[in-house]
Amino acid sequence: MASNDQIAETTAAPESAAQTPAGNGGEEAAHGSGLELRQVTKHFSEVVAVDNVSLHIDNGEYVVLLGPSGCGKTTILRMIGGHEHPTGGDVLLDGKSLVGVPPAKRPTTTVFQHFALFPHRSVLGNVEFGLRMQGIDKQQRRKRAMEMIELVGLSEMRFRKPSELSGGQQQRVALARVLVTQPKLLLLDEPFGDLDRLLQLRMRVELRELQRELGIAFVHVTHNQEEALSMADRIVVMEGGHIQQVGTPAEISQRPSNVFVAAFMGDNNILQGEVAEVSNGRTVVNADVGQVAMATGESSLSVGDQVTVAVRANCVRLTAGDEKRQATNELACTVTATEYLGDTIKVHMRAGEHALLAKLPEDRYTELVGLAGKTATASWNDGDVQLLRA
Amino acid sequence: MPEPELTPTKSATEGRSGVDSVVPGDIALSDAAGAEIYGEEKGAGHLQAPPGASKLVTLLWMLPGALWLLIFLVAPVIVVLVVSFFTGTITGFKEVFTTSNYSAIFSGSSTYLSTLGTVARNSAIVTAVCLVIGYPVAYFLAVKVKKTQYAFGLFLIALAPFFTSTLIRAEAWIPTMSINGAVNSILKDIGIIHHPLGILLFSNFAVIVALVQLLVLFMVTPIFFQLAALDRSAIEAARDLGASGFRVFMNVTLPLTRGGIMIGCVFVFVLSMGDFATYKLVGGGSVGSIGLNIQNLVSLLNYPQAAAQAAILVVAMAIGVVLLLRFAKLQEQV
Amino acid sequence: MSQQLRDRLSKVGLGVWFAAFLVFLYGPVLVMLVLSLQSERGGSGFPAVGVPSGYWYNYLTGPNSSAIRSAVGVSLVLALIVGVIGGALALSLIMAYRRMGRRGGTVLLYLVLLALMTPGILLGLGMILWWKLLGLSPSLYPAGLGVHVVWALPFGFLVMLSIFNRYDVAVEEAARDLGASVMQTFTRVTLPIIWGGVFGAALFAFTLSWNEFERTLLVSTTNTLPLEIYGELTSAALQPNLYALGVITTFGTILLVFLMLIAVALIVRRTARTQAAAFQTEEEAITVAEQARVAPALEGA
Repeated sequence: MASNDQIAETTAAPESAAQTPAGNGGEEAAHGSGLELRQVTKHFSEVVAVDNVSLHIDNGEYVVLLGPSGCGKTTILRMIGGHEHPTGGDVLLDGKSLVGVPPAKRPTTTVFQHFALFPHRSVLGNVEFGLRMQGIDKQQRRKRAMEMIELVGLSEMRFRKPSELSGGQQQRVALARVLVTQPKLLLLDEPFGDLDRLLQLRMRVELRELQRELGIAFVHVTHNQEEALSMADRIVVMEGGHIQQVGTPAEISQRPSNVFVAAFMGDNNILQGEVAEVSNGRTVVNADVGQVAMATGESSLSVGDQVTVAVRANCVRLTAGDEKRQATNELACTVTATEYLGDTIKVHMRAGEHALLAKLPEDRYTELVGLAGKTATASWNDGDVQLLRA
Repeated sequence: MPEPELTPTKSATEGRSGVDSVVPGDIALSDAAGAEIYGEEKGAGHLQAPPGASKLVTLLWMLPGALWLLIFLVAPVIVVLVVSFFTGTITGFKEVFTTSNYSAIFSGSSTYLSTLGTVARNSAIVTAVCLVIGYPVAYFLAVKVKKTQYAFGLFLIALAPFFTSTLIRAEAWIPTMSINGAVNSILKDIGIIHHPLGILLFSNFAVIVALVQLLVLFMVTPIFFQLAALDRSAIEAARDLGASGFRVFMNVTLPLTRGGIMIGCVFVFVLSMGDFATYKLVGGGSVGSIGLNIQNLVSLLNYPQAAAQAAILVVAMAIGVVLLLRFAKLQEQV
Repeated sequence: MSQQLRDRLSKVGLGVWFAAFLVFLYGPVLVMLVLSLQSERGGSGFPAVGVPSGYWYNYLTGPNSSAIRSAVGVSLVLALIVGVIGGALALSLIMAYRRMGRRGGTVLLYLVLLALMTPGILLGLGMILWWKLLGLSPSLYPAGLGVHVVWALPFGFLVMLSIFNRYDVAVEEAARDLGASVMQTFTRVTLPIIWGGVFGAALFAFTLSWNEFERTLLVSTTNTLPLEIYGELTSAALQPNLYALGVITTFGTILLVFLMLIAVALIVRRTARTQAAAFQTEEEAITVAEQARVAPALEGA
């Protein structure tokens, strides 16, 4: 296994196609490396599942497609894997179109949602399957399969049937089964959906380590925001068959570009109002809860515009009492509930008829619990206010 | 404790139901919803389609079965209709168009229509009795037996006789119901009757009883499956709201199982209309049926007449089914 | 409380109703069983004489029963062939059905229902007329075989349907993904997983053919076992040997049906358990395992 930590990041030189594991023959020339979706569209009769999506994924990159149920993320994954044919557009891998190539002939493999292990075959039989289909002789394929089973730590269970394994072990078999075929691109469809939470947390780290070791691109589909943030090099947020935002976890989390992303990623206070004042580098909005000011560089806003802004919950400060010290970015509110989350505390508040949320460090626990039902002042900085597209 | 209102602004959540901006980030959508993603995007089919489904492969899979059904099912049924318009001869038929086979049926001297009337009435009675007997059985198994494996075990015990021979099940009524049969000797032993009852065998009554026994599982099965698939929480919710057991049954359970009832009724009605063995063995010679008529006509080589009678039987069955469905529709509107 | 009491009462009442129902279903066969165990002097009715005795069962092996024995041979061979063809056609039709769209699938489903609902006597009549039009004379093969398979096919199809309803098609996608051709996917993945269902469908077909009477009556010139029994019932005086035969057939059939259901249950359970192990809570796993037990019973629907 080639260990290529250095290419795990997004620096994608054309040569990096050569970094895929040895054994694939290297017959494919590397021009336009990585995976490219060009204006891909997919209709299911009248339903448009994916609408004109373009996306580039570099070799060695870990990309997570994130979105709610029915947003089109699974369909995109299935089109990359060849299990679904695009209605329009093109899918290219290292510059070569994959459209019309059956899944068996693609250098991609998929880890399916419920693992889709062959129930009638042992762990070894499952892992060997792909090699057997490639016509590799018995000795060779047994050796390679055993190496892979060893790698995922299941040597002692090699003769067990999938039904005799735990969820986590099944997941490892599913991984070993696809990795043994040395794919150029690994597709994962909700890979942790069937695992309990503790196991999920462990598998996230393991999977990420594995990906770095292999140096191949992983495309991972999930509806779980936390999972996406913790694993991805880049996150692609989807909704309604469209890409809503593409960015690093930090970008998606700190600078959501539109209302959907802000709402979907959670822990955002979304406020709406009318621009009241635009002065150099600062815009004041008359929001329904009070005055909000934000730092805007080259502002295209003018007075009277309707805008929506977001303030992240962990940027909100909270002090007891309701003395108002500044004109903007400060609200008097009533604490309605506190949630202790271990490392942080969520404080739910109400300003007028609007709910607000703050995330505060856990050392203020005693103080915050005492605030329940009382009035408090929430405030934040100009720089924490994010303008959203509708 | 009341859940606090989480929506910061009204507009932010408009049209975004289910995704709330201040919902904790990791549980905005349930896993169950995630599991359904593929199904939703795929659109509904009968079964999940297998990969690589080309038209040619489908056709190849289809061909043997379709040909078999065409030759041994569709063609014979069509031929019956065609031959019913042929002219009968001493040795069979010649291919000359006539409607005389039908006019013979509708002429005054024919007993066909009265036989058909009896069979239709019997079938309606059998259907009703099967429903009355079968519904509580299905209800008991699906609702009252709490453990699913017991329910299915008992259901299979009830289902097993269906696969045994209709002929032997009809035969078994003879020692059970005859003058010196089991029922008469038991009734005599416990002193309810002094002389054996003759009506128990070779009578219309006997035919109805035997048909009910033969077909009742066609009623129980679809109702059972519908009840088993029923969301029990709907029933419990109705209970919690204070509805009595009877009212829950009338207002919740019964309407939700109408589909199963309809399928069961159609099956029982159609199968009892076309019955032959029960009328012959349990009815003796005393009750006529269309099946018996057809067999007699075939043995007389009067094929076109037999075909016409069979054709009218099919029409009568179709009318019966339509009436049943119509009745169900009316119930729906009330 | 009174609500609880009413619940208990209704449960007990319905239980009694169910027990009476079983007596109604099985009673006549049990009567036949008692009378079949009479001695040589026993007749067709009560009181039963000399119970228990194996006389009438032995009688079936004697010289007076040679016609019955040859009919058993005819039925056995026919039922085996119907089993093989019925199982194979059920498999191929469900494979086609899985690939069909809603409209095509509905047409196929109606065709299967037509096979189930067409009165046997009508199908028999249609068969002899159709054969006459073709200039053939009807006989057990192929005309009788043809209608037997038509009768058995819907049940086999429904068995397969219940299996594929709970089948995770991703298994086939995974095989394709790993380089298997369409053919290899079928022989190495699909078939090994569902063979129990095919076996079940074949067993159903065997059972239904073995017991088939109305469809064969007009078509066949050779006596199958039910035809032979029918002949004896309607011509000669009724003797307990026919009861013995009925008892053997009935309980043999019931045994076969249970074997078949166990086979299907095992297969459905195996495929479902792979997922059950992966469910997050024990409760979910139990639900899935229960549904696995539910699925095989669908065949009667």
